[in-house]
Amino acid sequence: MLDPTSLPEIELPGSPFEGDTSRPAQSFWNESWERLRANRIGVAAGVLILILALIAIAAPIFSLVLTHFDPTRQHLIDNFRPPGHPYLLGTDELGRDTLTRLIYGGRVTLGVASLTVVLSLTLGTTVGLLAGYYGRWLDDLLMRIVDVFLAIPAIFLFILMSILFRPNAFTLAAIIASVGWGGVARLVRGEVLSVKQRDFILATRSVGAKDLRLIVRHLLPNVLPILIVAASLGVGQIILIEAALDFLGLGIQPPTPSWGNMLTNAESYFFHSGWLVVFPGVTIFITVLASNLFGNAVRDAFDPRLK
Amino acid sequence: MTTPLLDVQDLRTVFDTKEGTVKAVDGVSFQLEAGETLGIVGESGCGKSVTALSIMRLQRPGRIVSGKVQLKGRDITKVSDAEMREIRGQEIAMIFQDPMTSMNPVFRTGWQVAEPLLLHQGLTKVKAMARAVGLLGKVGIPAPATRAQDYPHQFSGGMRQRAMIAMGLTTAPQVLIADEPTTALDVTIQAQILDLLRNVNKEFGTATILITHNLGVVAGMCERTIVMYAGKIVESGPTTEVFAHPKHPYTWSLLRSMPRLDDELHQPLNAIEGLPPSLVDLPSGCAFHPRCQFKIERCSRDVPRLNLVGDNQLAACWVTQGGAELKRG
Repeated sequence: MLDPTSLPEIELPGSPFEGDTSRPAQSFWNESWERLRANRIGVAAGVLILILALIAIAAPIFSLVLTHFDPTRQHLIDNFRPPGHPYLLGTDELGRDTLTRLIYGGRVTLGVASLTVVLSLTLGTTVGLLAGYYGRWLDDLLMRIVDVFLAIPAIFLFILMSILFRPNAFTLAAIIASVGWGGVARLVRGEVLSVKQRDFILATRSVGAKDLRLIVRHLLPNVLPILIVAASLGVGQIILIEAALDFLGLGIQPPTPSWGNMLTNAESYFFHSGWLVVFPGVTIFITVLASNLFGNAVRDAFDPRLK
Repeated sequence: MTTPLLDVQDLRTVFDTKEGTVKAVDGVSFQLEAGETLGIVGESGCGKSVTALSIMRLQRPGRIVSGKVQLKGRDITKVSDAEMREIRGQEIAMIFQDPMTSMNPVFRTGWQVAEPLLLHQGLTKVKAMARAVGLLGKVGIPAPATRAQDYPHQFSGGMRQRAMIAMGLTTAPQVLIADEPTTALDVTIQAQILDLLRNVNKEFGTATILITHNLGVVAGMCERTIVMYAGKIVESGPTTEVFAHPKHPYTWSLLRSMPRLDDELHQPLNAIEGLPPSLVDLPSGCAFHPRCQFKIERCSRDVPRLNLVGDNQLAACWVTQGGAELKRG
C-alpha cells in the first residue's frame, strides 16, 4: 500500500489557526444562519411572525383563557360594541367578538399562506429540476406550460376557480399556488442550468450516480438557498392575495373568520364602527410588513447570488 | 497476444450544433495496457477531453456515432445504462481539470470521497467514511479524520485535487482518466499532484490516461504518448521516440514552441501560426496543412492515414511517410 510518509505534504499558508485542527467546519448553512442572526430587523420580524403563528395555533386556548368567546357565536344584543370590556377589540354587526375572530382568522390566513408556499414550492421545484436537468424537449414542454400559466390574468383565474371549487382553506391554497408555481419553476430551472454546468455534476456522474440521485442529493441542496429566499419573500404577497380574495367574497366564506372577510362587511360600517376596519387592516399590514422584512433579511443572508 | 485492458477502436463522437455537425472525436483508436501510463496531448479543442468523456459515456450532449470501447474485451459502448453506472467509478474513474468546481460545495469532503463506496459497495456510512479517511491520508491530506469533516471551500486547490484522486481510488479502479489534473494548479502543487499520480500508478497498479496540453508533464509521466489534432490522432508512440524524433509536423511544432532555458536571451517563442481549425468546417486533406511548414501539394488533397513510421511509432503525415526527417525550416 501507499506509504503516506513518502508523499509530499502540502504547505498550509501561515495563519493564526495553524495547527488548530479543532475549529468547527463552517458550512454554507452555518454562515448564512450567522448572517441572518446579525440582522436585527430581520430577527425582530421573524420573531413577530413566530408569535403570530403560535397565537394562531393556540387559538382555542386564547379564546378560552383570554377572550372567553367563540369566534362564530353571535351576541345580537351586544352588536357594534366599541373596544372595551368584555369585548377587548369590540364586536361586529352580529355581536361577534373581534379579537377572537382575529385570532381564529390568523389560523386561516397563516395556514393558507403556508400551505400555498408548500404547494407552489413543491410543484415549482419539481418542474424546475426536471426541466433544467433533462433539458431538450422536456424543458421546452414544461416551460411552455409555465408560460401559459403565467400568461393567464390571475384575477380571472381566481374568480373562475372560486366558482368551480367551493373555496375552503385547501382549495384556496391550491388556487393561489396554481398561479405562484410558475415563477418558482423558472427560478429553479435557471439555477439548475447554471449548477448543472459545474464539474461536480460530471464528477458525480463519473462515479456512477443515477439521475435521481444527482437531482435529489446534488442539485436540490444547491438550489435550496434560492428556494428559501423565494418562500420567505412570497409569504407577504400570498397573504395579501388571500385577503383580497376573501374581501371580494371569492375566498374563505363566512361564518369562518379570516382577516380578509372580516373586512368585507366592516366596509359598510366604517364611519360609525371604525374599529371593525382598523383591527383586521392593521393586523394584515403588520403581518405582511413583517413577512417582507423577514424575507429581505433571509435573502441577504442566504441568496448565493448576493455574495 | 493478450487483450489490452482498454481497447478503443475507431471511436467517433459528434455534437449537433446550429452551425452543423462537429466531429469532436473522429476515428480515434488506441490501446491501454494494465498498469501503463498513457499521455494524450494537443491544443484546446482538439478532442482530448471528449475522447475521455466518450470512454466513460459521459459525452452528452454529444453522440457516439461509431466505434468500440472494449474494457477487458467487453464493448462498453453497448452495455445498458445501469451496467455503465457500475463500470463508472468501479472500473474506470475520472479526475477533472478544475478542482475548484469538481466538488459539491454543500457536502463535507469526506462524504463525497465516500460516495462511490456508498453507491457501489453498499457499505454503511461509518465504514465508508473510515475508508474515505484512510484514502485521504494516503493521498497526503494532513489530519485526514478532521479534514474529512471540512467543506470543499476550506480546502486549497491542491488539496481538493488530492481529494478528487482519493475519490477516484475508493473502489480501486483499473483505469484512471486524469483530464488536465494540474492545469488549474500552480507549479509547485502541479509537481506534487503528478508525484501522487505516479505513486498511485505504481502502488495500486492503476492504468492512467493523462490528458494534458503540457508536454513537460507527458515527458515526465507517460510511457506512451498520443498527439491529437482536430479530433484525430496524428502521432503516437513511446514518449521518448515521439519527443526525440517527432514524425508529424504538429508534434514537431508543439515541441519547438516550448520555451527553453538554454535558448539565446530574447529569442522569440516559436509559436504555431494560426488557430486550430473549426471542427465544423475542416480543411480538405490533412487538417493541419494550413499551419504546416512542411506541406507538399498532396497534403491539401488527400487525408493521410496513421502509418507505422518506426518500431512502435505511428504518424499520419504524407511528408514523413516517405521517410523524411523533420528539420528546422
